[in-house]
Amino acid sequence: MIEGIFVEGLIYSIMALGVFFTFRILDFPDLTVDGSFPMGAVVMAACLHQGVNPVTGLLLAFAGGVLAGVTTAEIHNRLKVPHLLAGILTMTMLYSVNIRILSNRANLPLLRVETVLTKIHAWSEGFISAEWASLIFFLLVVILIKKGLDLFFITDMGLMFGALGNNEQMVRTQGVNPAILKSIGVGLSNGLVALSGAFAAQYQGFADVNLGQGIVVSGLASVMLGEFLLRSNRISILTLRVVLGTILFKAIMYLGRYYGYYINMTPNDLKLIAGILIIISLAAANIRNKKEKNRS
Amino acid sequence: MIRLEKVQKTFGLGTAGEKTVIRNLDFEVEKGDFITVVGSNGAGKTTLFNLISGSIFPTQGKILIKGKEVTRDPEYKRAKAIGRIFQDPLAGTASNMTLEDNMMITSNKGFKWPKISLTRTMRQSFQEQVKQLEMGLESRLKENVNTLSGGQRQALTLLMTVTSNPDILLLDEHTAALDPRNAELVMALTKRFINEKGLTTLMVTHNMNHAIEFGNRLIMMDQGEIIIDVKQEAKKQLTKKRLIEMFSEIKKRDFENDEVLLTS
Ligand SMILES: Nc1ncnc2c1ncn2[C@@H]1O[C@H](COP(=O)(O)OP(=O)(O)OP(=O)(O)O)[C@@H](O)[C@H]1O
Ligand SMILES: [Mg+2]
Repeated sequence: MIEGIFVEGLIYSIMALGVFFTFRILDFPDLTVDGSFPMGAVVMAACLHQGVNPVTGLLLAFAGGVLAGVTTAEIHNRLKVPHLLAGILTMTMLYSVNIRILSNRANLPLLRVETVLTKIHAWSEGFISAEWASLIFFLLVVILIKKGLDLFFITDMGLMFGALGNNEQMVRTQGVNPAILKSIGVGLSNGLVALSGAFAAQYQGFADVNLGQGIVVSGLASVMLGEFLLRSNRISILTLRVVLGTILFKAIMYLGRYYGYYINMTPNDLKLIAGILIIISLAAANIRNKKEKNRS
Repeated sequence: MIRLEKVQKTFGLGTAGEKTVIRNLDFEVEKGDFITVVGSNGAGKTTLFNLISGSIFPTQGKILIKGKEVTRDPEYKRAKAIGRIFQDPLAGTASNMTLEDNMMITSNKGFKWPKISLTRTMRQSFQEQVKQLEMGLESRLKENVNTLSGGQRQALTLLMTVTSNPDILLLDEHTAALDPRNAELVMALTKRFINEKGLTTLMVTHNMNHAIEFGNRLIMMDQGEIIIDVKQEAKKQLTKKRLIEMFSEIKKRDFENDEVLLTS
């Protein structure tokens, strides 16, 4: 059971890292996520049913997410539409696109096909349980992605994303077109989100076009919970706390799902809880900022 | 270095609020010039800088930088040639990033690829650079810029702008938001860097002492036109008293014009 929380936390932390990238680094509140997460899931499912190699499927899911993100950024760049509206547009269109990808179905089970996880379980069978094998696998995947991001954010391009989120004028003064940076950034972020969706589908054993409902809110709640755990300005700590925050978020959701009935709660209340968590985090951050202002 | 040919800028063209802010302006800046720009509020000084740097486009006329026409090039395309510092000390840096990240970002212009340039030798050279400011920042490279004072931030912005070796430096009242002591400090640094590097500079200031003391040429703007242009020897002869006289002549004329309007 407890392994389940960690596995889910790790899978969703890939999505939360994407949310962290747009909301915190780029200062581009991106709602595409609610569409690109299920997109990753359905692309993966479609690939697996077509007998495509699971690794290729993951790459295609990532590419699909990138495309979705670039679409949002380009709508924003070219038509001067606000971030939020651009994201909602893409997200809404993706709902139809995702159903098409599943050949006009809303969901697709993955029980009879070979996935990344069935491959790993076949290989690890005999010395560890399937749950533990999944846990170790996703731990490695998340470490790889986190380390990759840490390195990326200290490259010349990565630093430029930070500059864009802080001060767009500075980017232009440096002779860089902010529009291109936004497309690359929002694209990569949604690539990660879709990758997360692809893993989630394989772990749950099905892909569903409604998988993405409220995902961006849960991602944001995870990012904000993480911000209460650790304080630092080092990128390696910032990404670490996103991962920890997501695991904590999943743990809270788990408690709500399995012990919520003591207080008359049903699984349908979980979205309410996620929203309230964000509101509490925002309020707490406000109080903290005020205290700091008073001190200085 | 910079040439403006019959440049006109009208805001709200064709609307009731139509307003011509730059009028038929011909202006040429030579390489190595250090020009101080004065003029009352709303004279069009910032608009002139916006036109040169490309954050707005002229309604009419041509703008050339280093002999090449750039009239309709967006700001980021001509940024390689231009270093610009604003009045607001927050405008030139990224607050939530460290000093060394900021210095890395501004250390070269143009599109950035995902390669790591922030190495130990780079950090050492940043350390050497900030030492020139004599503000003790060399031990704070890993702190966020938002922990610095306004004066420190503006000094850092100046340093970063100058070390990116722009062909043209545009300073728009860059010490106006600082307290007098910090303003003098940043001004002294400005003078030093411009002399050391022989930077072509335009500097807007409301401080008449600075306008007289600095540079080899002085222009006064009024209602979108350059009404006084004093160069080289004549600039050296110019006194603060004479400058203030010229200034008040405009004010008087404005006043009289208003009176004419009121009485007629
Ligand atoms: N975007 C704009 N739309 C309409 N009017 C504008 C705009 N920008 C500037 N103006 C007007 O143009 C005139 C010149 O403004 P500008 O900022 O160039 O003056 P300035 O010489 O820099 O003055 P100051 O010394 O106060 O900084 C002002 O009357 C201003 O109201
Ligand atoms: Mg101005």
